[in-house]
Amino acid sequence: MNRNRLSFKIIVRVLLFCFILGGSIFTIYYLFARKTIERESRENAIHLAESTVYKIEEIINPAEMIPGNLAWIIENNTLSRDSIYAFLRQLVRNNKSVFAAAIAFEPYLFSQERYAFAPYAYRSGDEILNRDLWSPAYNYFIMDWYQIPALLRKPYWSEPYFDEGGGGVLMTTYSVPFYTNTNNSRVFTGIITIDISLEWLTEIVNSVKIFETGYAFLISGNGVYVTHPNASHIMNQTIFTYAKEVNEPVIREIGRDMIGGESKLSNVNLKEMGNVWIYHTKIPSSKWSLGVVYPHREMYAGLRSLNIMIFLLSVMALTLLTIVTIRIINRQIRPLSRFAKAARNIAGGNFDTELPVVEENHEMKELHDSFRYMQEELANYIADLKETTSAKEKIESELRIARGIQIDMIPHIFPPFPNLPEIGLYASLESATEVGGDLYDFFPIGDDHFCFAIGDVSGKGVPASLFMAVTITLIRSMSDKNRSCSEIVQSVNKTLTINNESNMFVTLFVGILNLQTGELQYCNAGHNPPVLLNCDREPLMFRNTKAIPVGIFGEIDYCNETMILDPSDQIFLYTDGITEAEDADKNLFGEAALMKALTENRDKSPKELTDRVKQSVKEFVNGHMQSDDITMMCITYRGKNGNKIK
Amino acid sequence: MNISIEKTDEEFLVVISGRVDTTNYNEFENSIVHLYNEKDATIYLDCSGLDYISSSGLRIFLTLQKKVKIQGGVLKIFAMQPQIKEIFDISGFSSIFAIFPDYSAAKEA
Repeated sequence: MNRNRLSFKIIVRVLLFCFILGGSIFTIYYLFARKTIERESRENAIHLAESTVYKIEEIINPAEMIPGNLAWIIENNTLSRDSIYAFLRQLVRNNKSVFAAAIAFEPYLFSQERYAFAPYAYRSGDEILNRDLWSPAYNYFIMDWYQIPALLRKPYWSEPYFDEGGGGVLMTTYSVPFYTNTNNSRVFTGIITIDISLEWLTEIVNSVKIFETGYAFLISGNGVYVTHPNASHIMNQTIFTYAKEVNEPVIREIGRDMIGGESKLSNVNLKEMGNVWIYHTKIPSSKWSLGVVYPHREMYAGLRSLNIMIFLLSVMALTLLTIVTIRIINRQIRPLSRFAKAARNIAGGNFDTELPVVEENHEMKELHDSFRYMQEELANYIADLKETTSAKEKIESELRIARGIQIDMIPHIFPPFPNLPEIGLYASLESATEVGGDLYDFFPIGDDHFCFAIGDVSGKGVPASLFMAVTITLIRSMSDKNRSCSEIVQSVNKTLTINNESNMFVTLFVGILNLQTGELQYCNAGHNPPVLLNCDREPLMFRNTKAIPVGIFGEIDYCNETMILDPSDQIFLYTDGITEAEDADKNLFGEAALMKALTENRDKSPKELTDRVKQSVKEFVNGHMQSDDITMMCITYRGKNGNKIK
Repeated sequence: MNISIEKTDEEFLVVISGRVDTTNYNEFENSIVHLYNEKDATIYLDCSGLDYISSSGLRIFLTLQKKVKIQGGVLKIFAMQPQIKEIFDISGFSSIFAIFPDYSAAKEA
């Protein structure tokens, strides 16, 4: 992956984006779901409590009707005194929720003869038995179930209790006062009671199941647990003692509200169960109150398992996404690495390297086309370059040959004439390019004359070298015993001028020295004036004749000049490559520097002298490229027969 | 090297400055080649800014001189720096060209 940094980046970014997006969606979903669950749980808690209360009422209400109806029957004397037991038995038999029923009369109100009478029918196993409740040991007038409704003149639900005689089941007694009309006044006559088994109540309340640990409970008007999932609480604990036992003051608060008959939803934190909803509501017929405990932890349990599912799905989705993205990206950028490979191949000189095949996918297609273009251009360029190089090599080799030919045209063996003691001579020619336009030449004419020439063709390179070749050939062919210097120059000029469309010209100096007399005849056609040297005198530059170079105008008369050389006189000839030698700052070597170099070395031999001058020029230019041909020639006249040999 | 050519009636004022050597004499010739065919033109060549001229440059001067003459015109060179004048003197070119100290002297002649 690290190799493909681009794909790695893309994948990381895509995944990061998906992760953030998924995370955001999930968070929003989670909060929303939580809220919904919370709301629904809340409603559910209320609904559950209300429906449970309804179920209880559904049983209690008909039971409540029984004493009322019975009272009516008695008040209207519809019930015969003899059949009262049978009636009670039948009543118990007909109402399954009724465990027992009794009609307890006030003293002497059933009959003048009887102090107390309380006919009582009750279930015993499958049978229904009856007896009189009254006995001296059981003075019912002081019992709660009798005394309280008798005093209040109101129906009364007793606190739940375990009935010993009734098989130890949880009971409650509903007592209703009844009256008889005597002398047009309603006289309180007694209490009708029914005992109701609370087993069904426990059943109903315990059937309320809320998740794993949620439950419903019922407390009586005093806060005693009537039902509770923990059976040991029933009748043994009040909600207040329980609150104290588990040290939860909040439960005590709730208990107080419940006894007060309020309906309320509280969100409380219990040590044992964590956060719970507790909804409580009263049971309208009694003073009892029903509570529903709704644990948060379990309320969100469904959500939690859903979350785990979503998380697993997300991991799977992201993994899939990663794999698919990697595949897509790799497929998309695979051509890139192929292009890179192709580029390396092309760089290695394989111009016909196959380029990767690209679909009509814009970006890659563009790259492909650019590559193709580059490939073709490179191939063309290299082909051109090869051609050019070979052409250049050819020209260079030709130039090398030409240079050889040109060098062979000028004499370059020194000393040149060992058999001419009168003359010491050294010359050097250094072309700035392969072939140059400078020239020098020397040769004896007859026995006692020595001819020498130096010249510089305008420009340099091949054109100048061709002109130089012509010029040097002409000088040789024109020089003979009968011609003076000016005649030689004139002839050369005339021939060169013909058809010289390019206006090339040659500055030319030709001299003829009479070896016997030391008389020097010369003709200067626009060439740098030579210098006359002698160790006994200051160097002397030849007078400037102001004659124009050869090759320009055909009909020109050049003049001869003459001077007499003393033995040991030297003539130093040069081209402007010396005086116009440049250093890096374009300063010219100049005549003054030349004269200085000559003065310092005037006692040296021709070779040494030219070497010294060359050295001076070299030092002056200090490595700067030579721009013009540099030619020097130094001739020493040693006098007749070389009498004064240096 | 810098060349400017200014035309007034039958006159041309060519101002050349800098160096004319083997590296740029072609450029020089290309700039003035159209003057070769001007009929009866008087061409003034201002050399006051010319610092150096090689033999290749001299050849262009010479060609211009010849061409102008063939077309019946005149080439007048003026305001040469001493070292340029020296080159012209040594090569004998001073005798081929009409050389003046300044523009007004060239005009009057």
